[in-house]
Amino acid sequence: MDLKHIRNFCIIAHVDHGKTTLSDRLLEHTATVTQRELKAQHLDSMDLERERGITIKCHPVSMIYRDKEGEKYFLNLIDTPGHVDFSYEVSRSLAACEGALLLIDASQGVEAQTVANAQLAFNQNLKVIPVINKIDLPSANLEMVTRQLEDILAIPAEEAILASGKSGIGIDEIFEAVAHRLPSPRLADYPATRALVFDCNFDTYKGVICYVRVFSGTIRVGQHMLMMSDKVKMEVKEVGFFSPAPVKTHELGPGRVGYVVTNIKSVADIKIGDTITGADKPAAEMLPGYKEVRPMVFSGIYPIDTSDYEKLKASLSRLRLNDASLIYQSESSVALGFGFRCGFLGLLHMEIVQERIRREYDVDIILTYPSVIYRVVQAGQGSIEIDNPVHMPDPSHIDEILEPTIRAIIHTPVDSVGDVLSLIMDKRGICEHTETLDETRLMLRCVLPLNEILVDFYDRLKSITHGYGSMDYELAEYQPSDLVKLDILVNSEPVDAFSSIVHRSKAEHKGRALCAKLAEIIPQQLFKIPVQAAVGGKVVARETISALRKDVTAKCYGGDITRKRKLLEKQKEGKKRMKQVGRVSIPQEAFVQVLRAQ
Amino acid sequence: MTSFCTTTAARPAPEPSVVLADCRPLGIYVHVPFCSSTCDFCAFYQETPARGDFDRYLDGVERELELAAIDEPVATVFWGGGTPGLLPPSALRRLGELLRARLPSPPAEWTVEMTPSSVKEEKLAALREIGVTRISLGAQSFQPRLLEALGRLHPRERIFEAVDKIRRAGFASLNLDLIFSIPGQSLDEWRADLDEATALGPDHLSTYCLTFEEDTALYVKLSQGRVSMDMEKEVSFLREAECRLAAAGYRQYEISNYARPGAECAHNLNTWGMHRWIGIGPAAASQDRGWRGANPAGLDLWLDKLAAGERAGEDRVLLTPDLLAADSLVFGLRMNAGVEVGRVAARFGVLFPDDLERRLREWEGDDLLERDGDRIKLTAGGRLVADRLGAELLEILG
Ligand SMILES: Nc1nc2c(ncn2[C@@H]2O[C@H](COP(=O)(O)OP(=O)(O)O)[C@@H](O)[C@H]2O)c(=O)[nH]1
Ligand code: SF4
Repeated sequence: MDLKHIRNFCIIAHVDHGKTTLSDRLLEHTATVTQRELKAQHLDSMDLERERGITIKCHPVSMIYRDKEGEKYFLNLIDTPGHVDFSYEVSRSLAACEGALLLIDASQGVEAQTVANAQLAFNQNLKVIPVINKIDLPSANLEMVTRQLEDILAIPAEEAILASGKSGIGIDEIFEAVAHRLPSPRLADYPATRALVFDCNFDTYKGVICYVRVFSGTIRVGQHMLMMSDKVKMEVKEVGFFSPAPVKTHELGPGRVGYVVTNIKSVADIKIGDTITGADKPAAEMLPGYKEVRPMVFSGIYPIDTSDYEKLKASLSRLRLNDASLIYQSESSVALGFGFRCGFLGLLHMEIVQERIRREYDVDIILTYPSVIYRVVQAGQGSIEIDNPVHMPDPSHIDEILEPTIRAIIHTPVDSVGDVLSLIMDKRGICEHTETLDETRLMLRCVLPLNEILVDFYDRLKSITHGYGSMDYELAEYQPSDLVKLDILVNSEPVDAFSSIVHRSKAEHKGRALCAKLAEIIPQQLFKIPVQAAVGGKVVARETISALRKDVTAKCYGGDITRKRKLLEKQKEGKKRMKQVGRVSIPQEAFVQVLRAQ
Repeated sequence: MTSFCTTTAARPAPEPSVVLADCRPLGIYVHVPFCSSTCDFCAFYQETPARGDFDRYLDGVERELELAAIDEPVATVFWGGGTPGLLPPSALRRLGELLRARLPSPPAEWTVEMTPSSVKEEKLAALREIGVTRISLGAQSFQPRLLEALGRLHPRERIFEAVDKIRRAGFASLNLDLIFSIPGQSLDEWRADLDEATALGPDHLSTYCLTFEEDTALYVKLSQGRVSMDMEKEVSFLREAECRLAAAGYRQYEISNYARPGAECAHNLNTWGMHRWIGIGPAAASQDRGWRGANPAGLDLWLDKLAAGERAGEDRVLLTPDLLAADSLVFGLRMNAGVEVGRVAARFGVLFPDDLERRLREWEGDDLLERDGDRIKLTAGGRLVADRLGAELLEILG
């Protein structure tokens, strides 16, 4: 197959702008799959992805397209994860392509994710083909979208293809553009074999399946190869491509996209973005852009029922089989017992892992406050990184604490901009730049501390903007910040699960809210219980749970004994499910409620 | 010692001993499941009698007494319900005779529950004749408004008439039941109820905090928000009863029970002391011969089981030493005299875990419990949370 007839591309879009629908249409059009198969394939995909309208992982698909002149093209459509948590993965998928279809919903216009994705594509020097999608909608506003294309994305409006994935408008034009506007595979004449690993998957039968884009050279079955990042050797067991079912071949030549199965057993040993080269004649340089991904957000995951610990452990290890970016190690908490400290790429990743443990492995779990990685500079001892408030050194030993920030693009209706700005300020952010998108919408570029957006930022943005706001972000640098550890004490005993690292200006407010919440949900006990929030030993907020006043039933005669005993047994069972903090019994539910409420 | 009392009542005489292990008393409880109508707060099993029900019931009692095969002296008899007083004199007499025929000797205490409206001279005469010693009268309240709120069908005058008749019939002992914390009831109204009750001079008073039991008319009102529960009010009413009744010479001997010294209800002391009782009639519970269990709640169900030769077959629990020891503490603590921990352990041959001692000490520190050698008893504050303490005891004692 000659390079001139291979095209590698991806589709980038804001969520819900029609990527899935369009992909399906393309496959159907090239008769890669039938309508019936499409349905089946959809049913296979993870519930979670479909529910959230995001794609977590989907393998590349190869299609054969004959253009208007009858030339045969080999098109590889590479899927990109749909969320900012996976932006490194997105960048690797883009790096595997020469071009991208940039999809914009004709009625919604450019959104935050559109801008962010387009920027990523430009940074990779991809040829971008703008597609204005859903033009079948009566609310389609072509004038607005074309103007946004030019003004915001600096893409000439005449390049845009008008399409509808749903009704099939513009599909031919899209194929023609892919075949003729996109360049053929680049970097093909490098003097050694180089293939980019842009994703991988675990298969129970085959083991680790790497999705690769071969740039130069050829990968053959039986060959010995090298992973360039860590010089790990491996033997190629199988190669092939997806159509969309896997099709085995003998080799994958330059420009091709497909899969490689080797003797590597665990996805944890595969680094996304790595370069595969021949072991006997290795390349001198890796393909550009490789980076080691590190988790950004950390949280403790604990089984609600302590006897589920082993089950939780097993489910994490099984999840990790297919998700190398999930890391975990065991930890224990006074209040929650034994669990795991887990690291995630971001909030969505955390949420997905949590949901999958619940749904697929049926373990009821509770998560502690998410934390980012703080850099703590200690007097005379250099700096350490901390992802768990429990490990925060004594304040007297701390010179300075730095926290990670993000650079965010936020789109908001003009009406809500005041509220959005005060939200940003409330979250300790700075708005650096404001741009008009059209008469009704603005785009804000701001810098925010990552820990401030961990919890409710996105939800609040959505609610302030009545659902119209959108956001995308990338990580930015660490900045010094006046952070403190906020402890919660129940009956004078610190409850580690409730500790958090917060900005000093917010400690009292948060402490007060937490104490109030706890006072509300910890049931009265036989004695009075003080609930306090403290920073460095100084109490900043306090509530008192008064002692239980009355819990006695009047009648208790012969016939009531059994009934009463059953009732007491029930109370006793209820107590068994509580966590003991000193003398205080805190219902599991209280942890869940407090940790969820924040 | 904490006490809610602010009155200057004389220091009460020594508490009655409740450890009755040595005489192994046996009590008989007879459930009479009939009522003329259902009170709004009632969750007891009772039904409105249909024609022929009384006879079917009495035949059933006869059969059950046969099955129970009582072959030893019975210390106490208690007829509860329902409304035993609803039975006509002839039925009361037959019920009494059925029982007497089975007992080697007449019981020292024989109580019958009556509602004010059901108290009639002929009935009282019949009861006296068969050997009943004590009447428990469901007065509930003296306020017409509250009687109506409870769905009770008697006017307040009926209470006075009933007490008068009971007196004249010559019963030695009389209990009045009172209910408090009725929606809309003021503290003054409660005081008035207590005063009117003590003025009638019964030797025993039972005061029940109104509970909202599922399946009652009152519960429905509660869940519809038409009435509400007020814990602080309940607490103040409880305290009021303790103080006012003490001042009038009644000593509290259990959470809801007050008596003139010596007039405590032996039947109930027997229950709380974890001795033995045999329940006769639908829904009646038994604790005897190694088992705890109850009859089905329903005349027909009960009769069916009896026909099959089965009694006390519901909710069956094997009486192990551990269970009896735990229950002795849980239910013993409901009594003002409390319970002797070591004595209970010895009686059932069990060893209490060390946790018990630790917990008791904590409760002492929290002012919920007092200790007097081996004896533990609740303070006034502890009595208010007796259920919680009971649950914690079960938690420790397994
Ligand atoms: N009217 C119309 N609706 C579309 C079109 N394409 C997708 N949709 C709808 O838009 C929603 C999101 O589509 P989907 O393909 O899942 O978007 P994705 O999140 O970008 O993958 C779905 O409800 C689709 O039915 C289109 O061309 N026209
Ligand atoms: S008289 Fe007693 S048993 Fe009958 S309905 Fe009223 S409260 Fe219930």
